[in-house]
Amino acid sequence: MLHKSACPAATLLALTALLAPPALAADRTLTISVYGFAQDAFKDLVYTPFEAACDCTLVVETGNSVERLAKMEANAADPVVDMAVVSTHDALSAARKGLLQPIDVSALSNYDKLYDIAKDPLGDNFGVGYTFYATSIEYRTDKVTVDSWADLLSPELAGNVALPDVTTNQGPPALYMLGKALGDDDAGLTGPMTAVGESVDDIVTFYVRSSQLAQLMQQEEIWAAPVGRFAWGRFKDNGLPMAWATPEEGQTGGMNVMIMTKDNGNEALALEFMDFWLSTPIQTALAEALVDSPANAEVTVAADVAENLTYGAETVATLSLLPPETILDRRAGWLDQWNELVLE
Amino acid sequence: MFENRAAGLALALPAAVFAAALFLVPVALLLSEAFQSDGTWSLTAYAEFFDSARNRRVFWRTLKLGALVTLVSAVIGYAAAWSITSLPAGARGRIFGLVILPLMISPVARTYAWLVILGRTGIVNETLVGLGLIDTPIRFLFTETAVFIGLLQLFLPLMIISLVSAFENMPKDAIPAARVLGANWLQVFWRVILPLTREGLVIGGTLVFTGALTAYITPAILGGAKVLMLETLLYQRVTVANDFAAASVIAMILIVMSFSANLLLKRIATARGARG
Repeated sequence: MLHKSACPAATLLALTALLAPPALAADRTLTISVYGFAQDAFKDLVYTPFEAACDCTLVVETGNSVERLAKMEANAADPVVDMAVVSTHDALSAARKGLLQPIDVSALSNYDKLYDIAKDPLGDNFGVGYTFYATSIEYRTDKVTVDSWADLLSPELAGNVALPDVTTNQGPPALYMLGKALGDDDAGLTGPMTAVGESVDDIVTFYVRSSQLAQLMQQEEIWAAPVGRFAWGRFKDNGLPMAWATPEEGQTGGMNVMIMTKDNGNEALALEFMDFWLSTPIQTALAEALVDSPANAEVTVAADVAENLTYGAETVATLSLLPPETILDRRAGWLDQWNELVLE
Repeated sequence: MFENRAAGLALALPAAVFAAALFLVPVALLLSEAFQSDGTWSLTAYAEFFDSARNRRVFWRTLKLGALVTLVSAVIGYAAAWSITSLPAGARGRIFGLVILPLMISPVARTYAWLVILGRTGIVNETLVGLGLIDTPIRFLFTETAVFIGLLQLFLPLMIISLVSAFENMPKDAIPAARVLGANWLQVFWRVILPLTREGLVIGGTLVFTGALTAYITPAILGGAKVLMLETLLYQRVTVANDFAAASVIAMILIVMSFSANLLLKRIATARGARG
């Protein structure tokens, strides 16, 4: 009897051993939460090399920042995600909700190589900047010349310009620069929103994605629009005479940061990954692929690559960035004001 | 059907539990936020919503476009369904297949196609300029007209399918009989076809109106932020303002509008049928 019953059990065990997947490199698994943008490039340049180097497995979750933050909040008691990359204001929002822990920057060997602006943008080491981007105006050189943010509302561009929607990351900074050009640089943005509201019929649309903008430019629906430098690659070779404006009021922009979820229990591996991503070779590879502008000041790239990035200490120093707390605290108010002054 | 009532209920239980647990409860929880204010039950959120001129305008625009798309698709749908059911069987199948074909294509792809077609350099403007009807291209994109065209194209097949089914169930000799008895075509439609196809109109109308009310992609792409609809406003409240209470209010309004449209259409059809 014993022999009879042991046989199927042994067979089952053997089959299980045969059919089971090979042991994963690890018992070490890191779950990261990132933007959906350029994931093929990130896989080739960051994720796969890291998995090879750490002998671990990366689980990558993608989505827009609202979905990803909502998920982090829902799982706060038992975090699924170990580290995430988000905008500075989203990071600040997560920090205020108690979802984050300070990053132990002493464990990041590449930390000192970062531009100062990227080292501790939120305070208390709640985030480390890994990329930033300039925002300026791209335009058709055969149609207009753009020297100032105020040119967005000029008669020459009436009916041929798109602006970023206030709900996008580009919206408030672009409005802030427009306000500066109009002599009102208050962060309440009432001045520029009023001006946009008065010219609303001359604005083709308020775009929400840079990919949408590329199509509008290609279809000659628009001649100019404020856009993040990360999207410039879509426009510069579109067969139309395009230029990136350097307005007299300067350029604005934004920064993305790495954050560490609170009590995730995987801090060491998360720090290892952050350090890997911030290293000079990886930041250089991402820059050369025109995926992300480097936050690592030691990165050097060829002039033709640099031209397509937000690159170099000088450029970085000139960016007029809206502080994350300003964006976070005023975002809902801006939306109401926008709906009232512009869309009414 | 079942001699043993308990057996019937037992068989229905898994589906009922599934629907309750994964649909009714989550929806009820979400919508309950719309009836709460400072921890107590209240309708304050609705009063606040309709207090805003912008919200009222978005509400009326959504209602107007939904009603217009339903009305126009009903008119086109009747003509199309009547013609399709008059065709020989083979041709009917082929034409009906063409009507269904767009439903197999993603609404995103269909809407993006309109972005190209309605553009300044799109086929519509190029044809109008080529024919000398206009000098400079007309701006269609990011207007209510573009949203209307996009929604109509998106939901017209649902109306045609519902009406074709209704026409097929209509007695074949009803129209000839009415004609023999001296009815003109308007009377035939009003007194014979409409009453006999009212179920199709109610189903099609509800599907089209509800679809037009709740579509997000098409108003977002073809209308953009300048043509806010209730669904794009809902998305904005959640993603930017993180205001789930206001979003729940909008969701509740959309649900009420859908149910009201269904009741209204049923009522119209029943009244029409009673008279007819």
